[in-house]
Amino acid sequence: MKFNDVFVVDDDKIFHFIIKKLLVHNNINVTPKFFENGLQAIEGIKTKLNKGENPPDLILLDINMPILDGWQFLEEFKAIKDKLSKEIIIYIVSSSDDSTDKNKAKNYQSEVKNYYLKPMTADDLKEIFSN
Amino acid sequence: MINNFSPIREINQRDNYFFKKMISNLPDLVFQLSYSSSGILTFTFFNKAVINYFELTKEQVRNFNITTVFREKIHPDDFDAMLISLQKLNQNQSNWSFEFRAILPSKGLRWFKAVANVEHSDFDTILMTGRMSDITVEKQLEVDLKVSEQRFQFAMEASIKGVWDLNLKTNKVFYSSQSMKMLELEENDVVDFHQKWDDRIHPDDINDYQKEFELHINNQTPYYENVKRMLTKSGKYKWILSRGKVIERDLNGNPLRIIGTHTDITQQKEEEKALKKTLEIINEQNSRLLNFAHIVSHNLNSHTSNFKMLLDLVEEENDQNSIAEIFQYLRTSSNALHQTIEHLKELVDINNNMSLKKEKLNLDSYLNKVLAILGEEINSNKVKIYKKIPKDYSIPFNPSYLESILLNFTTNAIKYSHPDRIPEIYYDLEKENDKFVLKIKDNGLGIDLDRHGEKLFGMYKTFHNNPDARGIGLFITKNQIESMGGKVEVESKKNIGTTFKIFFNNEI
Repeated sequence: MKFNDVFVVDDDKIFHFIIKKLLVHNNINVTPKFFENGLQAIEGIKTKLNKGENPPDLILLDINMPILDGWQFLEEFKAIKDKLSKEIIIYIVSSSDDSTDKNKAKNYQSEVKNYYLKPMTADDLKEIFSN
Repeated sequence: MINNFSPIREINQRDNYFFKKMISNLPDLVFQLSYSSSGILTFTFFNKAVINYFELTKEQVRNFNITTVFREKIHPDDFDAMLISLQKLNQNQSNWSFEFRAILPSKGLRWFKAVANVEHSDFDTILMTGRMSDITVEKQLEVDLKVSEQRFQFAMEASIKGVWDLNLKTNKVFYSSQSMKMLELEENDVVDFHQKWDDRIHPDDINDYQKEFELHINNQTPYYENVKRMLTKSGKYKWILSRGKVIERDLNGNPLRIIGTHTDITQQKEEEKALKKTLEIINEQNSRLLNFAHIVSHNLNSHTSNFKMLLDLVEEENDQNSIAEIFQYLRTSSNALHQTIEHLKELVDINNNMSLKKEKLNLDSYLNKVLAILGEEINSNKVKIYKKIPKDYSIPFNPSYLESILLNFTTNAIKYSHPDRIPEIYYDLEKENDKFVLKIKDNGLGIDLDRHGEKLFGMYKTFHNNPDARGIGLFITKNQIESMGGKVEVESKKNIGTTFKIFFNNEI
């Protein structure tokens, strides 16, 4: 398995449930950690660093979230990126098909690998985990 | 010059050849005229110059009845007038002067002026000795000047523009009646001190006006042009466009005189303002529409994608417990969608009701009402309320919106109070740039505006880890304020507090 340690950052708890189910249905054997906003996720990464643990392998990141949204998370992430022992693959998974959001994602090319539009399908998930 | 001589008759009587010859040959038109009390006019003498100038033929000169000849040449109106003027001469008058027109064969119509010495003889006859001169050119100039003056006067009166003429040596200005009319002053042309007019300029426009004026006076601009507000007699301001140009400078190039016009462009300015306002409304509506399209697409998308994903899952699921769980989430999604649609509907209603009825509402009593509704919450959180709203201040607003707005800001202030402090809320009414502003200040958690400033009034945006936060209140509140023609601004510092400023629109 390519990704063992996965973060799902989304304020929608239904989406958390869906991801869990999709992983099981597609025989992808990972137990992701769920965060409801960007701040929680950033703190999750920092906690790992402080404990001397490895950062997550993969982050599925929503854009519209309270407190720290996806973009703000990416800004915070940029600041601590150099301290990480390895690269983290980040995918944006959002229901926003707004062109401003899609264009904005291009500003984060060195952080974000791809932009997936919700609804997320089993094929999307397989693609992410097989790449 | 004739008057310096002895009377011509004496010369004739003495048969003084020398004087007779001299007078006959003078280039001036010399004449002698007698007028009897019975009304008979006789030319007793005229020199060669008269014969030549009036183009008299030999026959006419020889003719005994030369008076008839003149009568034919002089304009009939003027001949009658001449007789009247002669009749009016009395014993004490020693001078006679008369202007008349004559129609001459080749010269055409000419104006003449006769000046004579008057002698009252013993035989009830008046004898006039003098000369005539052709004053046609002067007359024409006089007529031309009069016509042009009348034309100018008419132009000034008919024009909507006022005319001013400033003498920079004396600092006195001529203002035409139109300029005076613009300021609702007495409609006469006047000459007045420059300063008196300047005193009526709106204080905010004085600097620009002085700058423009100086620039032209110093020859840095080809003409002077300035738009300013001027105080009228009734105390209103009018927009006046003033244009002018220096028309006279001394040898050193210093300006002596500047002439210009005034135009009342108040109506144009007001139309401009109205147009600008309309444009603002259209732009505002457009951006609201765009914003609304985003909100709809985004918020509905998140629900429909949940439906799709949950339905995908349920198709593949065999375990009854899992299926039940999925259905539970479908129900949750359905409720959320329903609520979102309710919110969107509310938003559409607010934006549709841009012309919603406004009433004059007493701000203080509405605030008291809201504080009473929240009484229990205020007491249980030990919130201190500080209120400085004038009791008599009213605003045109929709009643339910005003209540909702005050309720929302107050509940927010309580909800996001700082755990280490006793919550305080200050309500102040202030004036900023001619607009009334309600400031609602708290000492609560504060918001990091650098982070959240742009999204603060967005839909479904929350910024604190508060379980009650739904992120709809500020969004609706902002829309309600804007639909009433107002606006809202925020100042905040994390851990210090937040101030919301609500700008009211006093137009109904």
